Amino acid sequence: MKASRLDSLNVSLFISRSSASTSSNKTGSWSFSRPRRAERSAPCSAACPCSEDIPRIEMLASRGLADEALASILEENPLPGTCGRVCFHPCEAACNRGGIDEAVSVNALERSLSDATVTAAPPARKLPPSARKKITIIGSGPAGLSAAYFLARLGHECEILEASSAAGGLLRWGIPEYRLPSAALEREIARVESLGVRIRLGRPAGEDMLAEPSRGRDAVVIATGHGRPSALGVPGDELALDALGMLARSRRGEERRFPRGGAPVAVVGGGNTAVDAARTLLRLGAEPIIVYRRRREDMPAIGAEIEAALAEGVRILPLAAPSAIEGSDGKMALKLRRMRSGDAGADGRASVAPVPGEDFALEVSAVYAAVGASAAERWMLPREGSALRLARCAIDPTAAGGRPVAYAGDLTIGRESVSDAIASGKEAAIALDALFSFGIKGVAAEIERALAADGGSASMEAYSRGPRATRSRAIVKAEDLNADYIERSRRANGRALESAKAALSFAEVECGLGPAEAAAQAGRCLNCGICNDCDNCRTFCPEAAVDVGPPGSGDPAWTSPRAPNLDYCKGCGICATECPRGALSMEEASS
Amino acid sequence: MTRVIEGSQAVAEAVKLAKAKVVSAYPITPQTHIVEELARLCSDGTMDARFICVESEHSAMASVIGAASGGVRAFTASSSHGLALMHEMLHWASAARLPIVMAEVNRALGPGWNLWLDQTDSLAQRDTGWIQIYVSDGQEALDTTLAAYRLAEIVNLPVMVVLDAFFLSHTYEPVDVPSQEDVDRFLPPYSPKFLLDTKAPYVLGEVAPPSVYMEMRRSIQSAMESAPEALEAVDEEFRSIFGRGYGPVEAYRCEDADIVIAATGTTAGTARVAVDALRDRGEKVGLLRIRLFRPFPARAVHEALRGTKKVAVLDRNCSFGAGGIFAQETRAALYNLGGPPVHSYIAGLGGRDVTPSLVEELYFDAKKAAAPAPESVWLGLREELCK
Repeated sequence: MKASRLDSLNVSLFISRSSASTSSNKTGSWSFSRPRRAERSAPCSAACPCSEDIPRIEMLASRGLADEALASILEENPLPGTCGRVCFHPCEAACNRGGIDEAVSVNALERSLSDATVTAAPPARKLPPSARKKITIIGSGPAGLSAAYFLARLGHECEILEASSAAGGLLRWGIPEYRLPSAALEREIARVESLGVRIRLGRPAGEDMLAEPSRGRDAVVIATGHGRPSALGVPGDELALDALGMLARSRRGEERRFPRGGAPVAVVGGGNTAVDAARTLLRLGAEPIIVYRRRREDMPAIGAEIEAALAEGVRILPLAAPSAIEGSDGKMALKLRRMRSGDAGADGRASVAPVPGEDFALEVSAVYAAVGASAAERWMLPREGSALRLARCAIDPTAAGGRPVAYAGDLTIGRESVSDAIASGKEAAIALDALFSFGIKGVAAEIERALAADGGSASMEAYSRGPRATRSRAIVKAEDLNADYIERSRRANGRALESAKAALSFAEVECGLGPAEAAAQAGRCLNCGICNDCDNCRTFCPEAAVDVGPPGSGDPAWTSPRAPNLDYCKGCGICATECPRGALSMEEASS
Repeated sequence: MTRVIEGSQAVAEAVKLAKAKVVSAYPITPQTHIVEELARLCSDGTMDARFICVESEHSAMASVIGAASGGVRAFTASSSHGLALMHEMLHWASAARLPIVMAEVNRALGPGWNLWLDQTDSLAQRDTGWIQIYVSDGQEALDTTLAAYRLAEIVNLPVMVVLDAFFLSHTYEPVDVPSQEDVDRFLPPYSPKFLLDTKAPYVLGEVAPPSVYMEMRRSIQSAMESAPEALEAVDEEFRSIFGRGYGPVEAYRCEDADIVIAATGTTAGTARVAVDALRDRGEKVGLLRIRLFRPFPARAVHEALRGTKKVAVLDRNCSFGAGGIFAQETRAALYNLGGPPVHSYIAGLGGRDVTPSLVEELYFDAKKAAAPAPESVWLGLREELCK
């Protein structure tokens, strides 16, 4: 090609351009405000009883850093494979994305991370022998396992006494296999044991535990849960069977199968136990009907579980309250009162009252009561007067013959859920550890210090003064986000067995998200309040004054290597405005 | 590979082949198909480029000015009111000497609200320091967009490739889309003569006091003066690779013509048909298609009209108070160089058809006139609406 002609063309180019570098012009001296990496708390984390650092977990998961993501979960929750299956996920209800398109599938993602990788428990704190305490935990349910896990991580020596033949408590005996397979549970129990926690099976504990503080025991944690099922409280209620007992027999393989064509069985109650019992009875060949005194929408069970039960063929009879049970085993009449829903009561639920003259009866072959439970024995409850009540646990400095006792689990939490029980065990562990260091007067302040977000629950990372402790507790609200940068997308929960097929066996119904799908779903998380290296601040800075370190500098899993260069930052605030997730704020510059 | 595509798509193909790194635009009919296609190419990864969505054409031009200052090829497209809104930034782009390429689809300005062809929008930007090239078909739109980058990067001036609304932007024609390999031979990777670098910061566009401002303006004019030669050289290179080329003007059957009709864009195609028909009837008529408008190719026009008795300029635009703009420019170019008298005609505003018979009417009007009318003659008017 003849390039010569163009090459020799002499084109005038005299432009307005400084001859010297402008780097000596420290424009930062003009500023009266400056940006600050002010990471804030996310509403999901604040709603999570376990205080998981959800925005960070999803940020890591979206980058394919599954081990790091799971490690973050394990910082706050020893049982992610369990919670990923059975948690009622208040995080999703609080998700800021819910107001934009659909909430992030936090629950399914937790399960996916837990199933996809085998991540060890975080390392335990090293304590000098004098500070290392020996602690006995009564009960190996979620609260007991959690208390042992966190106490062990804080450097203490833990043993768990479990009355039954296997660990897990309600997780093992109260939740059906099709929701929480044994294998998933075993992995989590093994992880707790890997911290040196000894679980002694077949060791029921009695009140003498409190009378006998000796044997080198420094403290006791009571996490027995409910032992005494509540009765229906109507004539003939001795004919009703206990739904939790039936679930336990089913898990042991001891529950009978029901003959085809028999009369339906009634399950009285509206909580998760009622739904679990009905779906279990269905799988055992029965024709279950859930009888509930309020409206269907008032049932406290997880909505998706109710939907799944209906899809499988469970019937629900709402606004019906038992008045008596008559007959004998195998052929009985469940007498019912038709209820009417009225105004909302103090608890926010609509009150109900019987409709006179509309009594009716169901002919059933069995009645299962799933209407709650209470403590089996008085000593399991905190003593009035001497126990310090915290949000989810209680602690008594002298209840065990002068040694401290912490009370955790269903008996001390307002909301009975697996996640709340785990949170209760964690809070009890932190409270005991604080008690050992500062005495009972220091406990409340230490628990307060461990709260990760306004209205949230205790965080192990905050208690241990990890990086999260520097984050503001203020919660990022939807209006704090810059929604211009959010592309609309759909959530996914993963596949599930077809209902007709699911009802035939105890095979797990939910199949979860595959790794690629999980990473994509994790990418839907807006990472509210934390920097996820989106680079908007740097892109929009008119002064090009957001410095970024070389890739890999700093801890990629925690600190993004971005920082305003205050030599040149004029404090215009564009970076903070353009931050899609509210992780930057402007503050007045000191002179 | 020959493909049947819209004029708009031909432009988008060229932008893709030119490997533009930043596209920023605000949609306006009839430019929309160009930027829709580019948005698709950017989003699906076909182009390794960023499409910057903006809230106005002013910001679109500001965005590409930023991109070009950063040393990458940048593209935008607009029409009519959108181009008018860019006006301030058009001056900035040229004075900053940035080799930006823009497709401008000629559309009428309102009110009355009108989406159709009228050249007043681009011609009103004639003093902004942009090179303007008026193209007549899909192939030329593609080729000229590629050549525009080559030219812009040599003379450091922005280039506007101007297309007729709908007649070109929305018409499907067979277009030879060249291979990337051939385009890469013609258009080497962009090597900016200056760029903003955050590692070695300096000021671009700083204060220019009276002691230097005038020389900067002179530099723009000098670059404009070297543009015709640069365009010719670029055209030569283009021809050597692709086997076709253009030039600042296209003279058709002008050699022995007594009267030459001057037209632009797709209108020149209609005029070509009329010229052939008139020639068949023994009329000594030719066609001069003016492609380059800024800088105005005075010498090329003068050369093409050598020996011609009259030139009749068909304008699809009007500078109110002065008449057809191509006619004014032609008249001004010929005044000192010498040449035939210039007859000015205005037709086909706001998308009204310019038919071969209208071109014949223009020809016979010019032929019978002893001297050009003092004002532009309007053809094809509905007299009943002109009271």
